[in-house]
Amino acid sequence: MTAVAVWSKRYGAFIRSAWMVDIQYRADIALWLLWGITEPAIALGIWWTVAGGGDVDGYTRVSFARYFFGVTLINQLTQAWDAWYIDHWIAEGEMNHRLLRPIAPVHEAIADNIAYKARVGTIVIIVWLLTAAVWPIVRLPVAPERWVLAAVAVVLGAGIRFFNGFAVGLLAFWTTRASDIIELQMAIGVFLSGQLAPLDLLPHWVASVASALWFPYAIAFPVSLLTGTGGWEHHIVQGFVGQLAWLIAWWLLYRFIWRNGRKEYGAVGG
Amino acid sequence: MWNSERGCEAPKRGTISKKGRAARLGTAFRALIALSAARELQYRANFFASFLGAAFWLLMAVFTVSIFYEHTEVVGGWSFWEAAVLLGVFNALVGVVEGVLRPGIGSLPDEIRHGSLDLLLLRPIDAQLYLTFQEVDLWRIADVITGFALSAYALHHLGRTPSVGEVALFLVTFLAAVAILYGVWLTLMSLSFWFVAVENLSTVFDAVFEAARYPASAYPSALRLVFLFVLPIVWTTTIPASALVGRLSMSVAAGCLFIAAATLIISRAVWRLALRRYTSAGG
Repeated sequence: MTAVAVWSKRYGAFIRSAWMVDIQYRADIALWLLWGITEPAIALGIWWTVAGGGDVDGYTRVSFARYFFGVTLINQLTQAWDAWYIDHWIAEGEMNHRLLRPIAPVHEAIADNIAYKARVGTIVIIVWLLTAAVWPIVRLPVAPERWVLAAVAVVLGAGIRFFNGFAVGLLAFWTTRASDIIELQMAIGVFLSGQLAPLDLLPHWVASVASALWFPYAIAFPVSLLTGTGGWEHHIVQGFVGQLAWLIAWWLLYRFIWRNGRKEYGAVGG
Repeated sequence: MWNSERGCEAPKRGTISKKGRAARLGTAFRALIALSAARELQYRANFFASFLGAAFWLLMAVFTVSIFYEHTEVVGGWSFWEAAVLLGVFNALVGVVEGVLRPGIGSLPDEIRHGSLDLLLLRPIDAQLYLTFQEVDLWRIADVITGFALSAYALHHLGRTPSVGEVALFLVTFLAAVAILYGVWLTLMSLSFWFVAVENLSTVFDAVFEAARYPASAYPSALRLVFLFVLPIVWTTTIPASALVGRLSMSVAAGCLFIAAATLIISRAVWRLALRRYTSAGG
């Protein structure tokens, strides 16, 4: 078998098993999804009131509605819970049998993410379409070229958040507080990635801090490409360059932490 | 109460009067809190960490609200400092949720799954009371204190000193808000008797309670209707905060008390119904 065939077989098996687990916990997925929907819904509700009949620095109610529907979808498609899982694996000794497998745990995690995102992404898209059927303002202006770019940006953004989460989760090899670090990062990320407001509505210093970090490349940039609002739709080249740079940076960091962390690991419990 | 003079002799049927029963519950309550305190005092450094953490998250929350006010003077009739009063109330309620509700009733799904609920039901004490106070994270008082401090600071900025009546109204509605949150948690967690597989029932609460960071009037009217009739917990912050900024009418306060009483009664009924059909999950 060629390498491609071997790997697609492995991934196929992982994705199927992730799917089976997901089906057992489908109520849980619905609950997480609810959480993923309320946050942007609250932000949209407040901006809707603030905008009133006019606009906020160029953002009307319509653009806010499109932007935050986009945030809901892109956040789900790029969200990675791996940091918590890894923290748990290491603390509870569940890392041990994963280390014994002839295939690195990162592949299981990637397959898990594909299965999870296919499921929640489909649900959010269906909800969006149903909403759009009765509420015309969340229908997006047709822009197929930009949507293709958005699809690529979603994959890159998901990669950034995945390796970011995986690397931070692996800090659990050294510290028992890895999940605190990821929670702190997530809280800051709400501002910096554009989940609370489009970046150009944030105070200037916050927006410039954000554009020096990876956060907006994971959410604000793909959202802007998809919805045509959010401030990044005119900076396509800069957006993709930033995405690639941060993806490579987090991938290298992940490899570095993974190599050194395993040496540190004492295999707790079992 | 069993003391040394009476030994372990069980009280005769009918000798425990209503008053005796209440006193026994009171003793059990004090013992549970003392136990929690003893447990937490082993980790004294956590006290400072809790305050630092609480202050940090509060600053983040104020910053979040300030982003909206960069672009407007009022949201839903509330100025920035009025919204800050409300945010302080929200923070204090979060302290109650994280300190009492989550470690207490929040552990019910786990107790059911692991079968330890059976041991709890065998104790000669009301299971609901025991479950509520079996574990209290006392350091979360830091959230209550920093929250009230923020409200006081914001009131100072508004140049407003609430009258004695307003403070009393605030305290009453705040306790009513705690009662509503308690009832909602008890009901939600009782659902795990029916849906054992649902691990994250508290997520439902977390998601909806997030909306209580802002005054209810800040939302579009369609959403507000949802909040009023479907998800009343969003009002748990708006009403006590309204008392402090002096815009709470007596009729709304009375309505709040009525809802609090109704929530407590309904949740107790759901809990008893759930217990009656409980057949133990083994352990």
